[in-house]
Amino acid sequence: MPYNIAMVSDFFFPQSGGIESHIYQLSSKLIDRGHKVIIITHAYKGRTGVRYLTNGLKIYHVPFFVIYRETTFPTVFSFFPIFRNIVIREQIEIVHGHASLSSFCGEAILHARTMGLRTVFTDHSLFGFADAASILTNKLLKFTLSDVDHAICVSHTCKENTVLRASLDPLMVSVIPNAVVAENFRPLSYTPSPFDQIPTSPLRTHGYPGHPLGTDLLIAAIPRILALNPNTRFIIAGSGPKAIDLEQMLERNVLQDKVEMLGSVRHEEVRDVMVRGHIYLHPSLTEAFGTVIVEAASCGLYVVCTRVGGIPEVLPQHMTTFAKPEEDDLVVATSKAIAALRSNKVRTDRFHDQVKMMYSWRDVAERTERVYQGITGEISSEEFYGYYPGQGWEASGDRVRSFALIDRLKRYYGCGVWAGKLFCLCVVIDFLIYVFLEMWFPRANIDIARSWPKKQPAEKSRPPTSARSIR
Amino acid sequence: MPGRLTVQRPSPTTVSFTVSNTPRRSKSPAKILFGFQILLRAFLFCCVIVVGIARLRRQFFAEGKLIIIPWQDVWSSPLGLHVCGLVDAYNPWVITVLCALVVYGVFRRSYTEESLLVIRGFGIQTSTSSSTYLSTAATRFIPTTQIQDIVIHEAFKGFEVRFYLAVIVEGEPDVLVVFPVSCPSTSIRSALTWILIQQLLPKREILEEVWRGSRRCLYDAKS
Repeated sequence: MPYNIAMVSDFFFPQSGGIESHIYQLSSKLIDRGHKVIIITHAYKGRTGVRYLTNGLKIYHVPFFVIYRETTFPTVFSFFPIFRNIVIREQIEIVHGHASLSSFCGEAILHARTMGLRTVFTDHSLFGFADAASILTNKLLKFTLSDVDHAICVSHTCKENTVLRASLDPLMVSVIPNAVVAENFRPLSYTPSPFDQIPTSPLRTHGYPGHPLGTDLLIAAIPRILALNPNTRFIIAGSGPKAIDLEQMLERNVLQDKVEMLGSVRHEEVRDVMVRGHIYLHPSLTEAFGTVIVEAASCGLYVVCTRVGGIPEVLPQHMTTFAKPEEDDLVVATSKAIAALRSNKVRTDRFHDQVKMMYSWRDVAERTERVYQGITGEISSEEFYGYYPGQGWEASGDRVRSFALIDRLKRYYGCGVWAGKLFCLCVVIDFLIYVFLEMWFPRANIDIARSWPKKQPAEKSRPPTSARSIR
Repeated sequence: MPGRLTVQRPSPTTVSFTVSNTPRRSKSPAKILFGFQILLRAFLFCCVIVVGIARLRRQFFAEGKLIIIPWQDVWSSPLGLHVCGLVDAYNPWVITVLCALVVYGVFRRSYTEESLLVIRGFGIQTSTSSSTYLSTAATRFIPTTQIQDIVIHEAFKGFEVRFYLAVIVEGEPDVLVVFPVSCPSTSIRSALTWILIQQLLPKREILEEVWRGSRRCLYDAKS
């Protein structure tokens, strides 16, 4: 059963990164499975209007006010008219938002629920609970997720985090990991080399504001690792505010000949950098999934990483050495890894095939499709969520979310003493705006866009019983 | 009321597409209404002229230089007295502004007509009717050698995504949009929408027909 899906996020190409490539790969694989997918994002510099990518993937670059690091200004309602127009002209049935810091995504989920569409949310990152910014973000996430039909997280740690932050029913959250395009990360044919080289990319070209990456850890650990293993070389890729500290460290310890800093590396060149090394050092302080680790392993690198966030779930034991996120342990773990590699205990040449078996976007798309089937009622809720008779589970069983305004208000009201009332007010205003838009810009005046011609015309004949009939 | 498309093919190598939002005046009440509208415009224009003359009667017409009409008699008639009282009671600027507005309303076109004329081996000409009856339509001619392609694409326009037909002209950074304006009709809501969006582009079906027809005329040798 093909669906019409809209992926909504602030983050998309030309900016590059984990979320962006996740959205792109997932969308193109969903199109391969016969669905129609469009992407709604904000206008980037030099990238505006309506565009098509390979495979007929349609991108709407909505002109919008960007405040910080390509995140749009959170205006709760102002996105509604244009969002409604796009949804109607593309005949969207499922709205799939990405990334909790994207205000587009939050708004789109709210409006989509008002318009009576099914919604899915994918969380890509972990957040704390303690500082003011996190508390605010978590409240916003709670607002977004109070009424979402289903949430997807990239790792089990991320799921735990999201369930706690948004007070969700854990059964409403699925775990679907990221994947890598293994063909793009092939190892070089193995050639023995006198030096062990450690490429590492602790400095990301971009990321979330305040995303803690372990550059400080790296600055402290590099001189000690080099002192212990004099034949080691480092290759550091990436740029960021901490790059200056790193360079100062190099100058202080006179390590310029042993550490090579490449600056920011384009995503398609990452593989060429990675295959120059033997060990990949990933001193991250928090990470929901860590696609880059999988890419490194796919390139045939032994991985040393910190045991934080969702990283321990990502790769099997024999590909990684874990360290605590502290200086001493990182040095010990790296030395251990170098020793293991020297004594030929690790078969890095098999990593590529193993990773290829473990991660593929086709698999991710299949699992996401099952989520879509679950929320539209194509597979019954007992089958989708599991059925636990007599355990009190079904008592909280408002998992198939109804679109009635009063039910939605009930869900929002439980968000907090003041927040609940504020959220209810927002939802009511959103509903009134919807009614107003239906009168002002009637549906009949909106042109229906043509779909991209599908490869198999046999799939095009879809029966009219879709999500709407079940509602 | 959205735009209506009329296609004319005077010769096999020429085709003209016209999008307009003139209401169809096929029934007699509509025709009578149209005639009444013309009369109303003429009457309003006369009123403006009379008010203007009344305002300036002391400067130009007092000495009886223009003796075709007995002005003194006109001003002393009951209607003339009423008009003079009205004109003298108000600030001359208010009267000027009001007159200008009424004149604009009188000459304002109530519809927009846009056309695309395609002549094989020669080029295409677009034209957009002006907003008043006083000025002529804005036209633009593009020779065949400069036409790179004719495409239908989508763009953000106000709070909407709209289809538009565009000609890609060689050596120009911007494309030429073929039917840029097609303002809707008379119902109050559409009028308000029109103020909001300013311009409405025609529907996709119309654009597709024009696109097919013009490409066939330009590039297809057989037809």
